[in-house]
Amino acid sequence: MKLGWQIGSVCFFALFAFGLVLALQLPMGDALGPGPGFFPLWLGLVGAALAIILFVQVRRQPADGPGDERLAPDRPAVRRILAVLILLAAVALLLDPLGFRLTALLFTALLLPGLGVRSPMIIAIFAATAGFGVFHVFYYWLKVPLPLGVFGI
Amino acid sequence: METLNFLLSGFAAAATPANLAFALIGCILGTLIGVLPGLGPAAGTAILIPLTFKLDPTGAIIMLSAIYYGAMYGGTITSVLLNVPGEAASVITCIDGFQMAKQGRGGTALGIAAIGSFIGGIFATVALVVVATPLSTLALRFGPPEFFALMLFGLSLVTGLAGRSLVAGVLMTVVGLLIAMVGIDPVVGAPRFTFGIPELYDGVGFIPVVMGLFGIGEILITAEKPYKEVIKTSFAHLLPSAAEWRRSAGAIVRGTGIGFFLGLIPGVGAIIPTFMSYITEKRLSKTPEQFGTGAIEGVAGPETANNAYANAAMVPLLTLGIPSSPTIAVLMGAFIVNGLTPGPFLFQERPELVWAIIASFFIGNVLLLILNLPLVGLWAKILEIPWQYVCGGTLLFCILGAYSINQSVFDIWLMLIFGIIGYLLRKLDFPIAPAILGLILGPQLEKSLRTSLEMSAGDFTIFLTRPITAVLLLLSVTVLVVSALHLTPPQLREASED
Repeated sequence: MKLGWQIGSVCFFALFAFGLVLALQLPMGDALGPGPGFFPLWLGLVGAALAIILFVQVRRQPADGPGDERLAPDRPAVRRILAVLILLAAVALLLDPLGFRLTALLFTALLLPGLGVRSPMIIAIFAATAGFGVFHVFYYWLKVPLPLGVFGI
Repeated sequence: METLNFLLSGFAAAATPANLAFALIGCILGTLIGVLPGLGPAAGTAILIPLTFKLDPTGAIIMLSAIYYGAMYGGTITSVLLNVPGEAASVITCIDGFQMAKQGRGGTALGIAAIGSFIGGIFATVALVVVATPLSTLALRFGPPEFFALMLFGLSLVTGLAGRSLVAGVLMTVVGLLIAMVGIDPVVGAPRFTFGIPELYDGVGFIPVVMGLFGIGEILITAEKPYKEVIKTSFAHLLPSAAEWRRSAGAIVRGTGIGFFLGLIPGVGAIIPTFMSYITEKRLSKTPEQFGTGAIEGVAGPETANNAYANAAMVPLLTLGIPSSPTIAVLMGAFIVNGLTPGPFLFQERPELVWAIIASFFIGNVLLLILNLPLVGLWAKILEIPWQYVCGGTLLFCILGAYSINQSVFDIWLMLIFGIIGYLLRKLDFPIAPAILGLILGPQLEKSLRTSLEMSAGDFTIFLTRPITAVLLLLSVTVLVVSALHLTPPQLREASED
């Protein structure tokens, strides 16, 4: 946990430093008063200072204090997490070209085995419902515009 | 008298068959969201916003509000039967609710929770009716400096009570505020931090961020550690015995008061009232040693406080336009999606809509009681659905929700990125609620600050020379100092994530 918080505070510092650099390129004031860069500049300064304070605070804490349990997930958990993330990224890439129905069908058909479901019948029913049933409800009944893809389905 | 007339016309609007149906659907979906572990009310409400796209604004907000307080109750079922809170505010119910279920008194635990929630919800809504008009009239006198100070006070409360580190709480608030800076500058209209990406001109989408941080983040945690099996318990006795009634009555009354008053304060969050109620009941009890072993007051008090809070938290949203928690912030987002800006002007411009929504809270509470008592066995069955299917269904709704806001896959990428961030923040126990409130309040906070400074020609003493502003800023500083000096009860600080 301690190392995680230290890495976290460094990441936050980098974010605020980046924000600070970008804010400095914006006008700080105009004829009416503070400009577009005014508030982000202060946020960047305050945020960077807080990130440094947090880093120092965490560094001073004893390493064997409460909450120093193992954070890394085990191998099967990593596989499940990666399955979710990779398939979500695939959805973002394929949704427009393939359309919602095919993408949702493929997404669920691949996700469930990735999460440990083994029954082909259940996977098929779930995927068909996700692809066609959900599309029907949202596209036709609720009039939510969803992509049809290059195949028009 | 005028308020009563408004309320009656609100009932007429809320009781149309269509709006009744929306409230019913909302209650069912909300309870379902609350029941399913891994899908909290914030992400659940956000995911279901697309369901309301084709509804009129009144119907849409009625349904989303019903989803919200339905989810607040649904979490109880999971807490009692699974010892896993369906949503954060039900954490405390796990302690005695689960013990009651193990003793075969699960039905009674859920029964008293439903009755307490109903009483707390109805009372809080009556109080909302009483305070709404005076508070919104008062808020109309607020200028930009007062709104700036009020928002800062709300953020300081969230920050001061968030997690185990005050520095981390403030840091996360500033992260949320910085993300809110992305987009077109609200005063002069110049693009900021957009990197030439057109999708960012309207800012970082609030809904995909909430879905990512809360929805995807929680699913990844569930994928890492799938939840346990449901405990088998009896639902034969849903109504408490006379002795249990006597023990619960005081807890329900006190829970109502605690939930309502804490709900009025912007930024307190849903979990604090439940903890306050539990601590109060334990301190007042003649048999405090029974707490933790299945004391019915340990369920009745917090559950009442939870629902009283849920309804009272609508007061700052509707009258001041300030969300109290991430879920209320999502509701605020839903108002904005429907072209409405919650706050005092809404009472002036759309009174028929505001009062229909308030009237729907009464109807929703009645519907929840009707749904939850007889159907408790059905909700328990839903808990037996394997987590893989829940994850699959939730992810599909997240994709639908993120995409359909702007019909853009950019929002799916955004949701995915914030999902990974949410997962890591949860793993490291960084508080997420301050970032969400910072994100939703950021544009208004900046606008109020800059308009205030324009009014004073750049003089910061404008915030000290106006009485309301000075008091609110003093309170904000007090909250942060008290938190920094660790004067806040540790139980409240450590469990204040909504």
